[in-house]
Amino acid sequence: MRRGWLPLVLMGALIVALGAYTAAHQSAFLGKENLNALMLEAMPLVLVSIGQMSALLVGGFDLSVGALMTMCVVTASFTMTPSMSGLALFAGALAVVGVGLATGVFNATLIQVLRLPSIIATLGTLSILTGLALLLRSYPSGAINPDVITALTAAVGFVPYAFIGAIVLAVLGDVWLYRSRRGLAVRAVGRDETSARRLGVATRRTVLFAFVACSLMATLGGFYLAAEVQVGSPIIGSQALESIAAAVLGGASLAGGKGSYVGAFLAAFFLTEIDNVLPLFQQPTEYADMAIGLLILLALVLYQAPELISRYRASRQRVEPLAPAQGEEAPAA
Amino acid sequence: MSTPGPAPAVLSAQGVSKAFGAVQALRDVSLDCHAGEIHALVGENGSGKSTLLGIASGFLAPDEGAVAIGGTRLRHGSPAEARRLGVGIAYQDYSHVLDLSVAENLFLAVPDDARPEYGHMAGWAEETLAALDLHVAVTAPVASLSLAERQLLEVAKALLTRPKVLLLDEPTTALGPDAVTHLHALVQEQAQAGVGVLYVSHRLPEVLAVADRVTVLRDGVARGTFETAAVSEADLVALMIGRPLEVAFPERPGQRADAEVLLSVSSLRGERFGPVDLAVRSGEILGIAGAEGNGQVQFLRALAGVERSAGSASCGGKALDTRSPLGPLRAGVVLLSGDRRGEALFPVLSVRANATVQVLRRLARFGFVARRRERRAIDGLVGRLGVRMASAEQPIQSLSGGNQQKVSLMRPFLRGDVKVILAEEPTQGVDVGARFDIYEALRAKADEGVATIVKSSDPIELAGICDRVVVMSRGRIVEEIPRHELGERRIVEAIVGSRGAGEGRSR
Repeated sequence: MRRGWLPLVLMGALIVALGAYTAAHQSAFLGKENLNALMLEAMPLVLVSIGQMSALLVGGFDLSVGALMTMCVVTASFTMTPSMSGLALFAGALAVVGVGLATGVFNATLIQVLRLPSIIATLGTLSILTGLALLLRSYPSGAINPDVITALTAAVGFVPYAFIGAIVLAVLGDVWLYRSRRGLAVRAVGRDETSARRLGVATRRTVLFAFVACSLMATLGGFYLAAEVQVGSPIIGSQALESIAAAVLGGASLAGGKGSYVGAFLAAFFLTEIDNVLPLFQQPTEYADMAIGLLILLALVLYQAPELISRYRASRQRVEPLAPAQGEEAPAA
Repeated sequence: MSTPGPAPAVLSAQGVSKAFGAVQALRDVSLDCHAGEIHALVGENGSGKSTLLGIASGFLAPDEGAVAIGGTRLRHGSPAEARRLGVGIAYQDYSHVLDLSVAENLFLAVPDDARPEYGHMAGWAEETLAALDLHVAVTAPVASLSLAERQLLEVAKALLTRPKVLLLDEPTTALGPDAVTHLHALVQEQAQAGVGVLYVSHRLPEVLAVADRVTVLRDGVARGTFETAAVSEADLVALMIGRPLEVAFPERPGQRADAEVLLSVSSLRGERFGPVDLAVRSGEILGIAGAEGNGQVQFLRALAGVERSAGSASCGGKALDTRSPLGPLRAGVVLLSGDRRGEALFPVLSVRANATVQVLRRLARFGFVARRRERRAIDGLVGRLGVRMASAEQPIQSLSGGNQQKVSLMRPFLRGDVKVILAEEPTQGVDVGARFDIYEALRAKADEGVATIVKSSDPIELAGICDRVVVMSRGRIVEEIPRHELGERRIVEAIVGSRGAGEGRSR
């Protein structure tokens, strides 16, 4: 577990370092308005990255999250219109959640019942959802209810409630992951599904749960995306790869079984911070993509360095002999 | 057949049959294991032991018949239900999540009501293991444990489920003599406490030392259940062997004692074997026998450079570089992997492409492979090896197992400069008709001067095609059987009586 802290420390340090550098050159950065905007801007990616972490923990990927978020925005533009209020609005929100839930169950079914690799299954879902969103809104239209947006973006001081909520969620998630039997079971499934099943872990239910959780977190992210764009846009959800990037920077292993929700939170926030900072320096945002790519490669090397080093050492050493230890008699000829 | 003891049957299999495709793995097998009894299950490789265990533990559903645990009939294929009813299993290939710690593995293994609080896991694990007289660092990942420790831990995990029935699948393959004694003491303690133990093993001395009764399987049929006090090893061996001869074997020319040693191995060690010393002469077919999981496969793969090893090997007098598969390949050492789909063949590519893949350079003109040359190269071999196919362009996965194997055998024929063939289970999944062709092909290469090693789990096959057989146990060669002694019984005796551990100590 000690090695598990590295991504959290690194991401935290990078957030602070980039913030401090920016603040030293651009006083506007630490302004309450900008910080509030930054936190709200981070919400969609933060939430979906926490979800993506669940999928990675059980050894899968969910490529459909971005398309699902778009679908949520488009759905909300029909079911949560400005003319609605009260119960109708609540029902409209439930409809959006229903889309997320259905997507999660659909993904899990493809993976568990048809035994498709998650990367293929969710790629299919991605296409279906993208097509569906374009069918429903061929161009951005349909305003989202402004009261909902106000409620979603409410803040105490300059810190949005949602941001606090996400922190609490990520911390609770990590406590669950590293201090409970179910969390341990999730990590066991991610590392070795066969052994986990033999140990009595309900592996199918665990994978199902992880993918449904991932979709539901993407749906939550979808609400905040809706609050950001405020209109039913069919082409805005591009968070799939970014969320995987955030989860990996946050310590997830692509082989499954490792990671941290707080790590995903911090990494997602950091990625948003890069996006937020570049315009302040009048730099084109294309640099952000390149910087993120480099960071992921560096982080992966850094996180895996201890493992790579020990593997290299092992390969240099003589192999461990099969040792029925002491008291072994010479094999009979 | 057996005395119906006063104790009730905690595990009862009635008329169980199971087929995998055309192979009948179990035929009408009945077996009772009573509370407090250690019931051994013995048989050759492939006699149906694992299938019966799979059915008893709920992982496999029988085609006919039923298994009852403590009087409750097990529904088809439900491992979770088997656990609930009180089945604890120690798997032959373990159930450890290697990256998790010993304590975490134990924590997951115990039933809900016996689980400590998460924070108290380490202390609890230490106490639990100490009670079993097993002393390992509980916070270390299982991957850091030795194989023997992992095997004992596997049994410990099964015990922690507080089973009514304990299924042990070859629980001593990695254990030294002291550890075997230790394990047997644990198992006997469990039996005294009223647990029924089904003990699967091929090590007859150990079985006779620890079990109360023993059931023999051969060819998926139960050949009888006996009190261990009333049978000898020889009796059991006689029941285990004697499968009908299904296939003929090619003529073996007299071995020339002066033939050059082509492959020479000296104190080669790997993850699961060693040290091994061995010399194979030109023209010789050497068999490797042994119960599954005793390092035979790893040894063969290490020689081919597929698995890591230390020590030295040489081919034709030159040192063999086994750090990667490239070294052996260049030196003329060819591996016929037992995992045909996964390693030996490209399932979706054509027969032609699969056959010529190692000699493309020779068939190419200016860097481009000439299909006509390829076809000409393989045409003759197709007839010679008796490959049955519609066209050389059909994907190899559409051929039968036997014909697939023949195509991979075309490679050493095409190369011409092959010195050593390492064949892992060359007739696994091959129908009887095609086996003779494969034996003949191997013999033909041997007659050309190739040194061949055949690893097989079938003693009849080894006795039929080999000039000499070595038997491996716990990663080492424990016996060498010369040609004039070769026979199924001789090989099986060597496998089941394998010395090196247990024998003479625990009896």
